[in-house]
Amino acid sequence: MLAFFLAIISSTKGLHKEFEREAIPHMDILYNYALRMTGNADDARDLLQETFLKAYRFWDKYEKGTNVRAWLFRIMKNTYINLYRKAVKEPDTVDYNDIQNFYNIIRENSADANDLQEKLFGHLLDDDVTKALESLPEEFRTVVILCDIEGLTYEEIAEFVECPVGTVRSRLHRGRKLLYAKLFEYAKKRGFVGKD
Amino acid sequence: MDCRKFLELISEAVDDRLQSDLKHQFSHHANICLPCRNEYEVDRITKSIVRATVHRREVPSELYYAVLTEVQKSQSSQRSWLEVIFGEAFLNPAVALVALIMVAVGAVSLLQRENAVPISADKNIIAQSINNFSATMAGVLKPTFISHDPGDVKDYLAKDTPFEVDVAALSGCDWCGGVLSSFNGVKLAHVVYKIGGEGLLYVYQVDINEAMHGTRISLPENAKASLAKTGWYFEQTPDKCNVVLWKHKNTLCAAVSMIEREKMVALLSEKGPW
Repeated sequence: MLAFFLAIISSTKGLHKEFEREAIPHMDILYNYALRMTGNADDARDLLQETFLKAYRFWDKYEKGTNVRAWLFRIMKNTYINLYRKAVKEPDTVDYNDIQNFYNIIRENSADANDLQEKLFGHLLDDDVTKALESLPEEFRTVVILCDIEGLTYEEIAEFVECPVGTVRSRLHRGRKLLYAKLFEYAKKRGFVGKD
Repeated sequence: MDCRKFLELISEAVDDRLQSDLKHQFSHHANICLPCRNEYEVDRITKSIVRATVHRREVPSELYYAVLTEVQKSQSSQRSWLEVIFGEAFLNPAVALVALIMVAVGAVSLLQRENAVPISADKNIIAQSINNFSATMAGVLKPTFISHDPGDVKDYLAKDTPFEVDVAALSGCDWCGGVLSSFNGVKLAHVVYKIGGEGLLYVYQVDINEAMHGTRISLPENAKASLAKTGWYFEQTPDKCNVVLWKHKNTLCAAVSMIEREKMVALLSEKGPW
């Protein structure tokens, strides 16, 4: 019986040490992801704390030797969905029809490439891009954040979001298109892009 | 390459993942098909805007410590559950012994982080302490060991230091942590206290002989004179950081904090080393 209890104690303590060694160093990347997903520091803070508490509670479910960052990331994503899905502000989300129209215009007016210049967006701020990112549907936002901000490889992103690499590729393409349309809208509002 | 294949490969091209032969076919198609090229440009520009505009942020130190504290608390609550089992089995003396061992184990945690202490360019102990305090506030300098019990932190640091480490039970202290490092071959101990409502208090600790007479680290002459005469030294930086130096046995301690001078002195006086 003594051995049994000693085993419980040492395993509890060992698990804790292991958790702090393995999981805590990934706090930065998770914080940045939380910031981009929630769009504000307060919600990012809550999301980060909730994620680490859950991860600690379920640490014995983590399969040793697998990608701990991907595991933590999935916990954060699920926590985010549970906490914020219902609270998503509808007016800020992207209208698919608008985007489709915008794209048809771009492809049709292909001879006029005036709207496709990087300098038109030169004055956009971090906040504008964050807001634009926030407006993307979750599945597109996630891949764009992980690829373009965090610099992860397609293979890593595929592991994070549990989908094939081909899906990452197509979501990135659609996500970037949606984002472009939103950024174009902001640039126009701010007067950097001429109104036609 | 046709338009369908081109569209499929746009992301890979933007992220520079195409092999040279595909890359060649891709650019060839882009040159002859304007709608496709525009679509590629959209993705390329978007990535470039995001990369140029959005900057990654470090976890604020206060949040980093809040997460650690929450995890620690959660660990304590798991231990309570074990204690319940032990409580019910109190008749067994062996279990009582184990319970004692468990209490002795305490709320201790080990954080293994590499490069936990930034390397300073300045030999001056006061400058190093101020830099380390800033690094602590920014979350760059992080304790490798945290506990609610100062005794645990002292034991942790004492294992590998040739001088007597000063870790005290300061009033209002939520937890404290420690980390070891060396500078020019001189062993250093760093203690961080989280004082509820007041913020962080950082204490740099080093062998007093190295500090007063050594060449590998240095101390300004006025600080040396004050320490020799009164046993302590006080300084305030232009951005209102308070620095307090004192001797503790064979150790020189340098505390840095944004806590007001009177409060800081009162806090440190309670333990009465000077």
